[in-house]
Amino acid sequence: MEETIQPKFSEPVFNRSHGRLLMPENRYWPTRMWKNPWSLPTYRRGAAVLAGLLSGAAGAAWLLGEIGPRVAPLYSMAEQYALSYGIPLFLVQTAWTVIKAAVLLAVPLVNALFAVWWERKISAHMQSRMGPMYVGRWHGALQTIADGIKLFLKEDLVPESADKIVHLLAPVAVIIPAILVFAPIPFGRELVYADLDIGTVYVFAVGGVSVMGIIMAGWASGNKFSLLGGLRSAAQLVSYELPRTFSVIPVIMLAGTLNLSAIAGLQAGYWGGVLPRWFIFYPVVGQVAFVVFLIASVAETNRIPFDIPEAESELVAGFNTEYSGMKFALFFLSEFAYVLLSCLLMAAFFFGGGEPPLPFLGFLPSWAWFLGKTLVLMFCFLWFRWTFPRFRVDRLMDFNWKFLLPVSLLNIAAAGVLIWFLDCWAAGLLGG
Amino acid sequence: MTQESSTALKTGQMFINFGPQHPSTHGVLRIALTVEGEVVVKADPDVGYLHRGIEKLFEARNYSQGLILTDRLDYVSAMPNNLAYCLAVERLAAVQPPLRAQYLRVMVSELTRIASHLVFFGTFSVDMGAFTPFLYAFREREMILDLFEMLCGGRLLYSYIRVGGVSADCPAGWEEKCGEFITFFKPRLKDYDTLLSFNPIFKDRTANVGRISAAQALSWGLSGPNLRASGPDYDVRKAEPYCVYDKLDFTVPTGKTGSCWDRYYCRMLEMGQSAEIVLQCLDALAGTACLPAGRELPPGEIMAKGVPKILKPPAGQAYAHIEASRGDLGFYAVSDGSPTPYRMHVRGPSFLNVAILQEILAGCKIADVVAVLGSFDIVLGEVDR
Amino acid sequence: MKNYILFVSEAFWNTLKGLWVTLKVLFLPAITVQYPTEKLVPYPRFRGMLAYDAEACIACGMCVRACPSKCIALAKAMPVPQQELCSSSGQPVSPEGKRVPKIEWYTIDYGRCNFCGLCEEACPTKTKALWHSLDFEAVFSTREEMTRRWKRGDDLWGTARRSADGQFSAVADQIHIQDVPVRK
Repeated sequence: MEETIQPKFSEPVFNRSHGRLLMPENRYWPTRMWKNPWSLPTYRRGAAVLAGLLSGAAGAAWLLGEIGPRVAPLYSMAEQYALSYGIPLFLVQTAWTVIKAAVLLAVPLVNALFAVWWERKISAHMQSRMGPMYVGRWHGALQTIADGIKLFLKEDLVPESADKIVHLLAPVAVIIPAILVFAPIPFGRELVYADLDIGTVYVFAVGGVSVMGIIMAGWASGNKFSLLGGLRSAAQLVSYELPRTFSVIPVIMLAGTLNLSAIAGLQAGYWGGVLPRWFIFYPVVGQVAFVVFLIASVAETNRIPFDIPEAESELVAGFNTEYSGMKFALFFLSEFAYVLLSCLLMAAFFFGGGEPPLPFLGFLPSWAWFLGKTLVLMFCFLWFRWTFPRFRVDRLMDFNWKFLLPVSLLNIAAAGVLIWFLDCWAAGLLGG
Repeated sequence: MTQESSTALKTGQMFINFGPQHPSTHGVLRIALTVEGEVVVKADPDVGYLHRGIEKLFEARNYSQGLILTDRLDYVSAMPNNLAYCLAVERLAAVQPPLRAQYLRVMVSELTRIASHLVFFGTFSVDMGAFTPFLYAFREREMILDLFEMLCGGRLLYSYIRVGGVSADCPAGWEEKCGEFITFFKPRLKDYDTLLSFNPIFKDRTANVGRISAAQALSWGLSGPNLRASGPDYDVRKAEPYCVYDKLDFTVPTGKTGSCWDRYYCRMLEMGQSAEIVLQCLDALAGTACLPAGRELPPGEIMAKGVPKILKPPAGQAYAHIEASRGDLGFYAVSDGSPTPYRMHVRGPSFLNVAILQEILAGCKIADVVAVLGSFDIVLGEVDR
Repeated sequence: MKNYILFVSEAFWNTLKGLWVTLKVLFLPAITVQYPTEKLVPYPRFRGMLAYDAEACIACGMCVRACPSKCIALAKAMPVPQQELCSSSGQPVSPEGKRVPKIEWYTIDYGRCNFCGLCEEACPTKTKALWHSLDFEAVFSTREEMTRRWKRGDDLWGTARRSADGQFSAVADQIHIQDVPVRK
């Protein structure tokens, strides 16, 4: 019996010659890999590359310096140029607006290119995987572009029972607000498309329109699972708008303005020269507001643990079951655009926008800090997504109406108390 | 299925085909759901999409060839299937396998139980929307598959346990690797608990969902962790010890409420117990513990003497059942003295576990259908056979 | 109220602990094998694609009888005089100079193979004429190609059936057994 299963030959052979053979004794068992990761050359190399990338990015940002203040002189230069050559000024204004709009349009696109790849890599490494490794040679850097091309070339299938026109319009109705919503975001000092006084209200109002497109998609697909997904989505997005907005009210109360860049700018400076005057560091109120806003934002962007509308295990793919090709890509794009938006808002509301966390780090420009904070917050989004299970649809509503909303309302009251306290402090009424 | 309404706008019931092609039916199970909004009114499980006629195929193969069919029943945990089949045939032919083979059998069965429960843990977490535990589970399962590949050459379908013993003794270094795996695996169980078991969202979704009372569970013939989660501590390993289970020290974890979370957590605890059993078997294989004084394991003896290549058991019948990963798995063999069995019947635990769905799914939410179905841990290869 | 606050804080704490688990793994090395650039070599007992050696085969048909899915078929050659055998294979037939039966043809239908190893166990020759190689990269473009035939004097990889006309011809590149080495 024993001799029948002796090895026939010692040398392993495979038909194709490429590839490095991994002998049985070198299999990647976590027992060996994880005991001392620093002894692995690949691990050391990876850490070095990461450190190099980070410092390289910081150096590039330092070299570039502030972009915002350079933009206005550029415009006045163009105006001067136009005046001297007799070109009507409105042409220059139009061209300037078009350029700015094009840059703004690029934000969700570039964001999706990066964020999808980043999400894949982060999630992969959280799961002891590698993620995309082939396209673009270096760690699948061009994977998203390849996926985009694939989606672009795919056949656009419209189901027989679908409402053709609404089916076509739904992705459009989703993506347009997702682009418009970036207008009042201050990407850095003086780096904003439209410095609206009511920026906060505008963002929440325009962002809320996207739910229409999702309901349209669910309805028009002519599929029961899609319809359920669309209905769930409507209920969820409308409910979570409330705590999300209410959680910002303490910030607005403390700042006294709705202008996003003004809110970010007010958080400059340090308490005791160390602790930045960010809103998240206001005792209790700031942290509670941030947590509620974070949770509600995750819910608003339909991501795990709140991805009820597209719950894969229940509703196959929810409202975008019947979408393929570019239409699907638009849904995808808008999802990541909203993730970016939530992170930008959080960075502006709670983390001081472009202000450096420590005084001596001020050598980096404000846009770099803003971007960095946004990326860290985006990492939190991915982190949640790849850690938590999904809520059940009715518990989701319970959680919102019975927990988040009361907490955010209480927080507004607490903010009032805090403001009264701070006023007293400033007036010297407390402690003599 | 909208009800006719002539005058007023009424809400009606909707008919949903849950499966056979649905991401969370774990195969090709179809459940015909009638829903009112998100609430299930009626659920009708429909099996048979994976029927391959395996029980009939046994009758055209001799006893050693029939073994490979058992791998294909519950393909997520093939070793216990082999074991139950071999026990039935050994009882039929009155063959007594040597002690070392019995320890090896117990060991691979328990390793398979861990692997199978890991698959359950992973797929259940995917059903609940968490994807990461799935890959953690498969990371650990991969190590078990490596062990099996080293032991018998198969990674999914083993055909390792043979009539009269096992096909091969463990190769050099296998026991050390086994111990290495167990020491790595035990802390991972704590990770799983932190990541999923006590996550408030997960508990919220599974505790108090799909509750089965002990009486209900017994009357529907549930077995395995699904039964024990409701309270009864029936375990074939304790009730009718086979192989060397009577010499091993382990407990049978039970639940209280019979909810999805209890069914889930029973399995998590069972994995810990299985790890303990594997450690004890390793000690026994090394000839150090677990044996009565004065008895030593004969090294290398893994097949019973005098088992012919073409087995012709005397006419008669035999039934043997074991505690497989999913419950009480039994093989009923009838021989007419010829090299092929006259009849071979399989009592698949998954088939009996799936029957209770029609009773407990009514009144659940659609999202709960997934939770309840996932918590039963069915394998359609065993349901449909 | 106190219970509620306790419940909320416990839930919050458990959630944070879960996040800690995934964060830990994020900074540990990945354990996946990058398949086409890295290939796992199976353990020696691995049951890969069947390999067959026409020279060693004695055409006893044990493998045919052992196979549960009837994927093997063979035809025995007529007994041939010893001199002819010696000249064709270039070596003595057996130590005693006995006439050893040889195969006329031998086919394996890989589409039906179970990879169970029963045929290999049944094979009575000293060095197995039929054995599971370590090859797991089986690629076939049609169902016909899955049938492989060996005739006496054929090398280890035999001939595959063409899907166009059903005739057996030399295997194209990418067919799996062609690099199986001669046993030592």
